[in-house]
This record gives sequence, C-alpha cells and structure tokens, in this order.
Amino acid sequence: MNPLTDFANLQNRRQFFTNGTNALGMAALATLLGRDARAESAHPMQSALQFAPKAKRVIYLHMVGGPSQMDLFDYKPEMEKMYDKDLPDSIRKGQRLTTMTSKQARFPIAPSKYKFAQYGQNGMWMNSELLPYFSQCADDVAFIRSMHTEAINHEPAITMMQSGNQLAGRPCLGSWASYGLGSANQDLPTFVVLVAEPSNREQLQAISGRLWSSGFLPGQHAGVAFRSKGEPILYITNPPGVTTDVRRNTLDGIRALNEQNATLVGDPEVHTRIAQYEMAFRMQASVPDLTDFSSEPESTWNLYGPDAKKPGTFANSVLLARRLAERGVRFTQIYHNNWDHHSNVGGRMPSQCRDIDQPCFGLIQDLKQRGLFEDTLILWGGEFGRTIYTQGRLSKTNYGRDHHPRCFTMWAAGGGIKGGVVYGATDDFSYNIVENPVHVRDLHATLLQLLGFDHHRFSFKWQGLDARLTGVEPAKVVKALLA
Amino acid sequence: MLVLPLAARAADDRVIFNRDVRPIMGEYCFACHGPDPAARKEGIRFDREEGFFGQREDGGPTVVKGNPGKSPLYQRIIATDPDDIMPPPKEHKKLKPAEIATLKKWIEQGAEWQAHWAFIAPVQPPVPAGAAAHPVDAFVRERLAAAGLKPSPDADRRTLARRVALDLTGLPPSPEEVEAFVNDAAPGAYEKLVDKLLASPRYGEHRARYWLDAARYADTHGLHFDNYREMWPYREWVIKAFNRNQRFDQFTIEQIAGDLLPKPTHEQLIATGFHRCNITTNEGGTIAEENLANYAKDRVETTSWVWLGLTSNCAACHDHKFDPITQKDFYSMSAFFRNTTQDHADRNARDTAPVLAVPMGEDAKRFEAIPDEIATINAKVEERKKAVVAEGAAWLATVTVEEIERAAKADTMLAQFALNEGKGAETKGVVAGQEQTAKLPEQIAWKADGKTGPAVQVGEGTSIDLGELGDFEKEQAFTAMAWFFRTEEESKAPGSIVARMDKAEDLRGWDLFTEKNEIAVHLVSKWPGNALRVVTTDGAAKPGQWQHVAVTYNGSGKAGGVQIHVNGVPRKLKVETDKLSASIRTKVPFMVGRRGGGGEVFTGAVQDVRLYSSVLSAKHLLALAELPDLRTILKKPAAERTPEEKQRLLALHSTDDPQLKELEGKIAALGQEKAAIQKRSPVTHIQMEKPNSQPMARLLVRGQYDQPQDELKAGVITALHKMPESAPVNRLGLAQWLMAKENPLTARVTVNRFWMETFGTGLVKSAADFGIMSDAPSHPALLDWLAVDFRDNGWDMKRLMRLLVTSETYKQSAAVSKELLARDPDNRLLARGPRFRMDAEMVRDSALAVSGLLSPKIGGPSVKPYQPTGVWEAVAMPESNTKSYKPETGEALYRRSLYTFWKRSAPPASLEAFNAPSRENCAIGRERTNTPLQALVTLNDTQFVEAARFLAQAAMQAASTDPKATLDFMARRVLSRALRPTEVPILEASQTALLAHYTQTPADTTALLAVGETKPDPALAPPQLAAWTMVASQLMNLDETLNK
Repeated sequence: MNPLTDFANLQNRRQFFTNGTNALGMAALATLLGRDARAESAHPMQSALQFAPKAKRVIYLHMVGGPSQMDLFDYKPEMEKMYDKDLPDSIRKGQRLTTMTSKQARFPIAPSKYKFAQYGQNGMWMNSELLPYFSQCADDVAFIRSMHTEAINHEPAITMMQSGNQLAGRPCLGSWASYGLGSANQDLPTFVVLVAEPSNREQLQAISGRLWSSGFLPGQHAGVAFRSKGEPILYITNPPGVTTDVRRNTLDGIRALNEQNATLVGDPEVHTRIAQYEMAFRMQASVPDLTDFSSEPESTWNLYGPDAKKPGTFANSVLLARRLAERGVRFTQIYHNNWDHHSNVGGRMPSQCRDIDQPCFGLIQDLKQRGLFEDTLILWGGEFGRTIYTQGRLSKTNYGRDHHPRCFTMWAAGGGIKGGVVYGATDDFSYNIVENPVHVRDLHATLLQLLGFDHHRFSFKWQGLDARLTGVEPAKVVKALLA
Repeated sequence: MLVLPLAARAADDRVIFNRDVRPIMGEYCFACHGPDPAARKEGIRFDREEGFFGQREDGGPTVVKGNPGKSPLYQRIIATDPDDIMPPPKEHKKLKPAEIATLKKWIEQGAEWQAHWAFIAPVQPPVPAGAAAHPVDAFVRERLAAAGLKPSPDADRRTLARRVALDLTGLPPSPEEVEAFVNDAAPGAYEKLVDKLLASPRYGEHRARYWLDAARYADTHGLHFDNYREMWPYREWVIKAFNRNQRFDQFTIEQIAGDLLPKPTHEQLIATGFHRCNITTNEGGTIAEENLANYAKDRVETTSWVWLGLTSNCAACHDHKFDPITQKDFYSMSAFFRNTTQDHADRNARDTAPVLAVPMGEDAKRFEAIPDEIATINAKVEERKKAVVAEGAAWLATVTVEEIERAAKADTMLAQFALNEGKGAETKGVVAGQEQTAKLPEQIAWKADGKTGPAVQVGEGTSIDLGELGDFEKEQAFTAMAWFFRTEEESKAPGSIVARMDKAEDLRGWDLFTEKNEIAVHLVSKWPGNALRVVTTDGAAKPGQWQHVAVTYNGSGKAGGVQIHVNGVPRKLKVETDKLSASIRTKVPFMVGRRGGGGEVFTGAVQDVRLYSSVLSAKHLLALAELPDLRTILKKPAAERTPEEKQRLLALHSTDDPQLKELEGKIAALGQEKAAIQKRSPVTHIQMEKPNSQPMARLLVRGQYDQPQDELKAGVITALHKMPESAPVNRLGLAQWLMAKENPLTARVTVNRFWMETFGTGLVKSAADFGIMSDAPSHPALLDWLAVDFRDNGWDMKRLMRLLVTSETYKQSAAVSKELLARDPDNRLLARGPRFRMDAEMVRDSALAVSGLLSPKIGGPSVKPYQPTGVWEAVAMPESNTKSYKPETGEALYRRSLYTFWKRSAPPASLEAFNAPSRENCAIGRERTNTPLQALVTLNDTQFVEAARFLAQAAMQAASTDPKATLDFMARRVLSRALRPTEVPILEASQTALLAHYTQTPADTTALLAVGETKPDPALAPPQLAAWTMVASQLMNLDETLNK
C-alpha cells in the first residue's frame, strides 16, 4: 500500500459511508490518481517507501539469450577431465530439457575452452581471456552464481525475469519502479528502454514491447523505448519546416483556446492536457541535449571505448544510460542480444564479450567519478543459463550449449550492493545449485528492498487482489548481497 | 475503486450487506477466509452465509445476530492482543474505524445477509414512475433526485450531432450533416439522425473496433518470430455482423462454436476465428503440452471476461480467492477448447491449420456456385452410368476376346518385350514393328508362374539391358508399363522396375521405381534441384501378387502431367518435387531392374515391358491390365461368369464412354477452378472439432502443464446455472450455456460494455469483473432493466444502442460546474453528458475525416500507413517476416485505423501512444491516459501533419482569400461548429505570425508542404498554405477535438 492509494481508499470509504454527500477533494484525488503525470511526479511518493532506499535509480543490462555461466563466471576446473564424457545421470536427475537437445543420443561434457583467473580481494574467478576490463571491477560487484528460474525457453524466461510471471500481461520491473518511485525529472520519462545492437547477429531472440509494458499498472508507467536510429523518442521531432518558434506559437494558440474551453466545460482534464502539451515541448527541448554526446570529454571515450561513439552499440547505450541516470530517470533497461549460443560458443563469445566488457567497466568507473555509483543499482544477466553438455558437435575449441534454467550467474553493483561478494554455488558441472539458491523472485524482492520497498507490501489492487511483483509464491530478500 | 451508494436506501442508517459489508470482508478477510480452500484458515469462509451463522466445530457462529459483543467476528476485529486480532498484523491490513463501526452496526441491525447480486439472475424491475418518459432517464433521475441533484440541460444541437456521430460511427459528422440536423425543426429529428447513423456501414466498423480488443485480434502470431497471420476475414465478419445487426446470441454462438452448427456456412466458420486470435508460438524447444495448456487457458480467460465478466484466470492455479470458481471448473471449461484440431506450434506460417480459404468478390460467387454445378453434373454421371450398365448387359452377351485385344492395342507402341521365354540367353521383343533380340544376363533365373508363362527374375547382377529404348525428352509424351511381382522379402528394398537413367550423371533420365509399398516416377535433369518426382500414397504396390503398373506422362514438364496406374486404375499421387526445366535425355541404355551406372536394384519378377509414344487412354490401360484375366473369363459361357467377373468386363465397357468422359472432364475442370480460387483466396483461421473425440482436460497443479492430474470432462462453472439439458457437451453447448436465459451474467455484462463504450464508464465500473470484488453498480436497477430488456428483445444490439443514445441522460450537456465536479468527478451519477478523450483509432480517423483524406473503403487485408522507421526493426527477430515495416502508398495510407496492420510485439506506434492494447490478451475497455507522448503524435506525426495541410488546402479552396471564411470552414469540419468570437482573434494572431514566418522562410514552407505523400494544390500560395496548415494543426490539437 502506498499513501496515495490509502488516501484514495479512505476517500472512497468516506464517500461510501456518507452516501456521496461529502465528496470534497475528489477532484484533487482524481488528478492525483495517475491522470496527471506532472502532478504525480511532484507528489511525495518517497513517503510510500517502507525502508530507507539505497538505490534511487536502476540500470539493468539484460543479456538476451542467456549467457553461458561456465564460460564467464562459474569456473569449473574439474570439467577439464570430463571432456566428451557423458553427463552423469546423477547430475541430470531426469530434469527436463528443451526439445532442441532432448532427442540427442548423448550429452557429452564440454569444458569451457577459456582460461580463468582470480581477481580482486576475494579472488573472484572470471574468464581471463575475454574480460580484460570488467575483471578489474571485481571489488565493486557482487556475483550471484546460484540464480535459477523455471522457464526453459526465451519468451517465458525473459517475461519471468522482467515481470515475475512467465506469461505476458504483468507490469515489468521498470514499471513497478516508476509506480513506486515516481519521476525525478519533469522533462523525461521515468522508465526508459534501450535496445542495443550486438556486433554479431548470428542468433537473435525476439525482444517485444511487452517487456516494457505497464501491465495492469496505469499506462504512464510503461517504458518509453529510446531508439538508436531515427528520433530517440517517437514523434519527438517537429515536422520539417516547423521551427521551435513556430511550435511555440502554435502551442500558445492551442493553450489559449483550451483555456477558454476549460472555462466552458469545467472538465479538469483540459488543464491536464494543457500541461501535457507543455511537457511535450520541454521534452522536445531536453531530449536533443540528452542524446547529443558532443559535450562528452575525451576521458569519457577512453572509459567506454571507441564503440560508444557508434549509435546503437551497447557501449553507446550504456553511456546514454549514464546520461539518463544523471537526469533522474529512474529505470533504464538495456537489452543486448545474441547470447543464445546453441552452437559456436567459441566463435561468438569473444565478440559478445568485446561488446560489453569495456562499457560495463566504464559505466562503473564513470558513475563512481560522478558520485552516482552509491545510489545507482546496476544489474547484469540473462534470462537463464546454459548446459555443461554440448548441443551439437563438440571439439576442444568449439561447442554449443542449450538453455539451462537450473543455475546461472548474474552480477549486481552500486546502489546498496556489497562489492566483492560471491553468493551461491553450483556443483562441479554447473548444473545444479548446491548452496544458497536465488530464485528470480528473490532477486526481485532484493531489488525492491534496495529501492525502499517491502515486496510483500508493495502492491497494486488488481482484480480484487493486492498484486505484487513477486506474486504469491515465497520470495526472500538476499541479505548477503546488501551493503 | 470509486464506490457509490446503491440506489434508494431503505433507511438512512440501514447497513446493507452487499453494499456495505461485503466489500469490507473482501478487502480484509477473503484472502484467508474465502472460497480458496488452500488458503483458507480455520475452515472459516465469509464468501458464504454459513461462514457467518453456521455452527463451527469448536464453537458457535462467528456472528450472533443483533449482538456484536457475542460475535467472534467483531470481537476479533477489535481485539488488541496481537495473537487474536484480525486480520493478523503480519498481513499489514488494518480495518479503519469507520469500517469497524459498519460491521458493528450491521450485526446490531440483525446481520441480514445477501448473496452476491451478480450471481442472481436479473429480474426486470419496474421503471420508476413519473420520473421520465425514457426508461434510462427514469432510473437515472430517480437516483439524481435521491442525491439532491438535477440533470443538466440538453447539449446544443451541434455538440449533440458530433457526439452521437462519434459514438455510433466513430467519425465526426460532416458540416452539412450537422446543419441539416440543426435546421430540422420537426419532432423526431434527433431519432432520424440516430437511425441514419445506425444504418451507416461505418457503424459496424466502429463497433467492431471495440469487439476486436476483446477478441485480441491482430495480424501476427504474437510470440517469438511473431510472423504474419492471415486473419482479416474474421475482422470483416465482425464488421458485417454488427452492420447486419446479428442477434447477440447468434453472434456469440457462431464465434464460440460456429463449426459445430449443423451444416455450418462459410460465414459461421469464419466467425469461429474468435478463439483463433490468441497468441501462439513456434519457438524451437518449446514443449507441445505447455503451449496447448497456454492456448486453452487464454480461451477460458477470454470467454470468462467477455461473456461472464469473471476473472477466471485466478482459478488457473488455485480455486478463485473470491468468486465461486474452482480450479476444477477452470480446467473443465478448458476441455471445451482442447478438443480442436489446432496444433501446438504455429509453424511461423500465415495459415496455421485449421484454416478456411475465403474467396472474395467474383471468386466468392463462383466458389459458392461450383459445388452445385458439380452436383448437377454428378447426377448426370450417375444417370449415364446406369445407361451404360443397361447397354453393357447386351454387350456382355456378345463380347469376345478379340474385341478386348483390339481395345488393348495402340498403334503408338514403340517396343514390347514379353520376357516369358523361360530359358535361353536371349529374349525376343518387338521394337518399332521389327522383331529384335536382347541378351539376358548369364545368371538370369525364371519364375515359373508368371502372369503369362514363365517370367524373368531380376535382381543383383541380373538386371537386363534392353538397349536403345526409351530415350525420351521432357517435352515428349510417353507411356511405360510392365507386370511385376515381388515377395514380401523382396519388397523391402527399393529399386527401379524399368529405367533409362544415369546414376553417375545426377540421375538424369526417367524411371519407374518401387519403394516398399509405393510406386514412384522420376523425371530428372539434375537431381534434386531440377527434377520431378511423384509417388503413390495408398500402398499401391502389394507384395505377393502380380500387378500391372503403367506410367503415363503428357510431356508438360510438370508433375501434374504424370499418372501412375496400377492394374489399370489411376492411383492417388503425391507430388514431392516439381522443378523440372531442362533436358532429361541420357546416353545410358534402357534397363529392367535398375538404373544405368548403378543404383538401387529391383529384385522380383518382371514381364511384358512396353513403351508407347503417347499417353494411352484409360480404356487402353485397363484393357492391357485386364487382358490376361479376361481371356480366362471369356472362355466361360456368359451364364457361368460370376458377378465379379461380369463387373470387370463391364468396367472395361464403360471406361472411356465418350459421354461419361465429357461429364467427368467438366467435373475435373470445375474442381480445378475451385482449387485455383482457393489458392488465390485469403485464408482465415477457424476452429474445428476433433472428430470422434470427447472434450477432456486435466487439472494442472498450480497451473503447471507438467503436473497434470486426473482427466476432467468438459463442464461449466458449477456454482452458476447448469448447462441446458439439451445442450451437447462441446463448445456449442458452452455457447448455449453462455446465452441461456438463466445465465445471471452475460446480459448484464454485455449491456454494461455498451454502456461503457457510450458513457465512458460502465454502470459496473470493473467491466471485466462482476465477481464479488467488483465495483458495485452505480444504478443496479437500471443495469438489470437493460439486461432483461436486451435479452428479451432478441439480443438486438442496434436497439440497445438506440435506447442509450436517445435518452435525455445521453443528450445532456457535458459542461460541469465546480460543485458538481466536486460532488461527482467521474460522472457516475450522470447529472451531465459524457465527455472523454477519444480512443486511438477515433483520434486518427477523425483527423483523416475532417481533412477529407479518409478512404471510404470497407474491409480487406490490413494496411500499413505511415509509421516512423525502425519501430518493428527494433524488436523483431531477423528471421521474422514482419521484421521491417514499409509504409504503403496511396489509399492504404488513409484507411480507417481498424485496418492498420497490427503486429503484436510492436503495435501501431501512434495508436499505442493513445492506449491501444497490444492485442496479446483480451482487453475489455481501454485506459484513457493523458500524456505528452500523445501530444507529440498529433503535433508531429506525418499522418496528422498531412491531414492538417489537406484540411487547410480544402479550406483555402473553398473560401478563396477570406481568412475568416477559411477559419470558419476548418472549425466546422473539426469542431462541428463555428468559432466563438473570443476564439477567432487567437487563431488570427497565430495565423499572422505563421504567415510572416513562412513568407520569410521559403525553405521551411517547402519543407512543411512536402510532408506526406499527397502534393499540395499548386494554385495555392505556399506561404499561405503553410500558415493555414499550422492553424489547422492547432484546431486538430484542441482538447475539444480530441474529446467526443
């Protein structure tokens, strides 16, 4: 419950009990109840917080397709000896497989072809060939090696990761954050989505608008997709031949006419519309500044790497995410595709890592330099992990890996996260979790806690229920990750 | 949730259970003391009367009527001990003092209990007397009077004309229509206007648009590739159904179960597309059972939302927390939808079976006529056959072997080898009329009992080279044939009976080939890319018997030119490859038993190999195949022949009867015409019941497909009315149940949806939820009156719409005073007329209509109007066939928005900004947000800028150079009224400044006028046109314009 809905309920009750005779304040309520983005952005949502928030904003880097945990972070040296041996039944335990490999005659083990080394004060194991930059961040990030989910295919798994449910229709994380935290910038959306282009496009997965839908939450909490090609926000640019002055002139006329009409019809929505047209004008002014990187100093490019200058790259998107964070955008979701390595791990992993390695490092350093790291939560990870056994042909240098929901690795940094933590462990095969499992719901509960919300109580009335991000199944905050 | 007190109260302080108590119980208690047994604590449930007054195992009732002090329910609520207090503190739900007081008062007043209103079938209440002539007004005014409010005066006629046109057709009225109405002083002028609008074909389009949200209609599959799905004939069906004012019960039955109606029409089958609109997947690795479970789930949920107003989705995982829907009910209902022939994966295809081809225009007429024409000819065929039999009776008595031999003889014979010598190193044949010998392999064996004498037995190392025969080109017609025999064992390996084909040269040539029980024919230039292959499908080749096989080929180069006859009878063929475009001639010799240059060896006996240079007639082929047996038969006296033997003779007689041939030719031509129509026609997805299969489903534990429990028969929600006795246990029965008179929900839910579409908010605000947690109806008696009226008057949708919009309540002015606004901000009491922002499609369609750009075309495939680049590309998979959006040109840019191509993972961007749903799930009612992104659409989208220019152009053309007249023209188009004196100077000032800018900045003028595909009228001065374009844009962006 938040005070706004409490207030609304109180009002409803009051009206209810007094037979509609005491409806004063209902107009104000109607405006507050999400009809007016400006009014909402101004209202003190913070008092809805149930804890002191550690993170004021989130940058979520979703690796679409499901990166291979044992090739990046979940070091499994024992597997070297198991090359081309069958995955023991004692490990597989008859668990279900996707129909892409369930018909395979054998499940031969494919040890990671990559060298690993230890980094940071806690000696975190990481791929030492492909992550030269990011591995320097070991003391800033917390690894969760024991993530797990139920979904075994992309659509349901991504939907689960983003909305807490495998089937479409629920609000996604960014929408919940927007609903809970409100806006901190009157000129920009609260929740922004960036779809980054991977440099290798061998096996892309679908990323659909449902992943930034507000579900049953009011529509203004839906994510606004910023585009890397064309206008950053749809329709933000004036038509050709319409200058800012011309636009101002037309808006002044519209406003004057709307004000006359407001007096005649008395509908408060007219005033809201006037305000929204003004906000549109301010957005038009602020977005070009947001997306114009020319003022970035040379040091920025050194941090993020030269790709950051290319529109649409992951590096470019991450830099934009930092600029959004600076301007108060609550939730920036970046999707980076092509991690679905059913085949050719050896051929695809290097370019995937090159895409993200320096930008992730750059983002952490940059936020630190700007004093934003403390209250900006960064999350990195896919929708599930991958199998230790090969899908298709196996050689020492190349193999494929199928989907694996029973364990995978994610990392988090900044905004209330304890750096240098390695949480959870998997068996020698990176197949089953042996220590401290973290379900997607637990991650969501932890995320909400960092934003200041108790996941049990952070809810929205829907179909008579207090609907929650974490749903009705048990979920727990992973305290060990908290600073 | 805005809860208003219900209609007349019995007494001022009387607490009424449904109004006052149940909402409190729902909010605080049902989660643990509701219908869900899994969550229920202490066995106490407050969704039923017993929960309050029944004796509990460990004590008395929870409520003692009249005595709060002895009622544990009340005592636990006011308890202070954390162990006793309800709800438990860990639930973080604390009753408010006023709520506690209500419960106390309820008990004190005697705790009168009521069943949830929506589960009791509506009884039509009397219309309140004296309040008003129109029933809607009578109920509304009674309520207003009780609240001490007065209705608003009528809206002025122009406002009303605009409102009612928008509500009934989705489009603003033309200025002429407005003036005609304004000037029509006759009584009934308004009703006349209403009837005209109801008769407009635009009515059906507009109503369809709402229905398509509920039906989750879209043009792609939704998941993964999100490829194109051809579904628009269903949309067309919906438009037509509204326009012809189909009864709502029929409308329902055809959509749920049109395929199960007796002899369903095409239209009734198309209607079943309703439940083929759900999202589907073809993602690799997905599990069939999981997909099917998801599809069925969607269908139960959608059916429940649309017809029952129930959130059955909650019961997919557990018994519903509030409403009496058990998990068993949910899966029993899902059984209805699991008995169709639809597969789990959509194949990423435009036509995922079952589909129906829907011929359009002239094709539709022909398509309908052809079956009758075929039936007529078939009757003639039967007639002729009888005649042939009659003639045949006489023929049978006189027929001779010689006559049969003549029938078998064809002068196009190229070669014949009997292969029946039974010994020796050579075999004799006839080639081009000359006797010729060929060498037999040394190891050759003979099978004593051939078809006629001993037969050569070929196999590994004993294939026979017959030399330079059969050197056909692909343009050349020919017939090849032989008798053959294989044992069961021999039939296991494939091989060529006869072949002129070079294995070493990509199988160039042709052959007649057996593989297990089928016979194939190959004509090959280069296998497999340049070849044709047809194969029998019904086990044509049988081991253990002599069979005559013949292939005819007409030289067309097409697989359709090949026919395989077994024992003289043409067989059903499957075309596997049909890509022959180059020569098939090859130098290798003609072989019996294998191909040249190696290849699969045919093992078996062969006799009487023949080649002809033409396609032999059916009669020839039959005679050739029958000749050996008929010789024997004909030796018997006619009287001793068995009926079967007579039949064989007669068959030969009737084959190639010229009259029959002509009739059969006609039937074949009609069949081809039908197939061609089918092939070029659009398809639509339909439901088809599985044959010989009872609907059944399994309860899925926690909704998980991999945890199925015992089988459940199909059934409906058990707490509601029973299925009609006469109803079949299938979707048809379900549809009849939905529309049954005893159903307490369907009629109410439906009239409420119409009410919502017209007045902005339903009488029940939660239009998709009439369950226990729903919002109480603002006018319960009116709702019931309308529901019964609708149901008992033929489920007549136009009549219902007419009823709503002809009420004084509807016609009221929407202007609201501060006092009334404070009193009733959401207009639930209806003391004023409806005014709210139009839905996405209406916003765009209105802009097109007022500008004069709107295309009048109704129906047809979806179109792609303007859309910024990259909207699809940003989300689509590279493999998707809806990956890149290319706007069309011409008329497609200006069609009504309901025809816009709807890609589910990236819905039309400009519509989405105005709360258009993704169409992934059923949507009852849309949100109406008010956002800056919407302003950006109507200010900047090419569609709207071009429309503004077109409007400006029309105004300038009509008004010559008078700025006032230009303004007036535009205002009448956009606002359906003249400008008020105070408005004119504002727009004139804008226009002056804009004109100055565009006069001084020709580059901007050129740029602005170039927006959109249409070209500006060259007769108009560009700076003026540019300035007026922006003024038009101002008008089109007014709040008044965006509101109905």
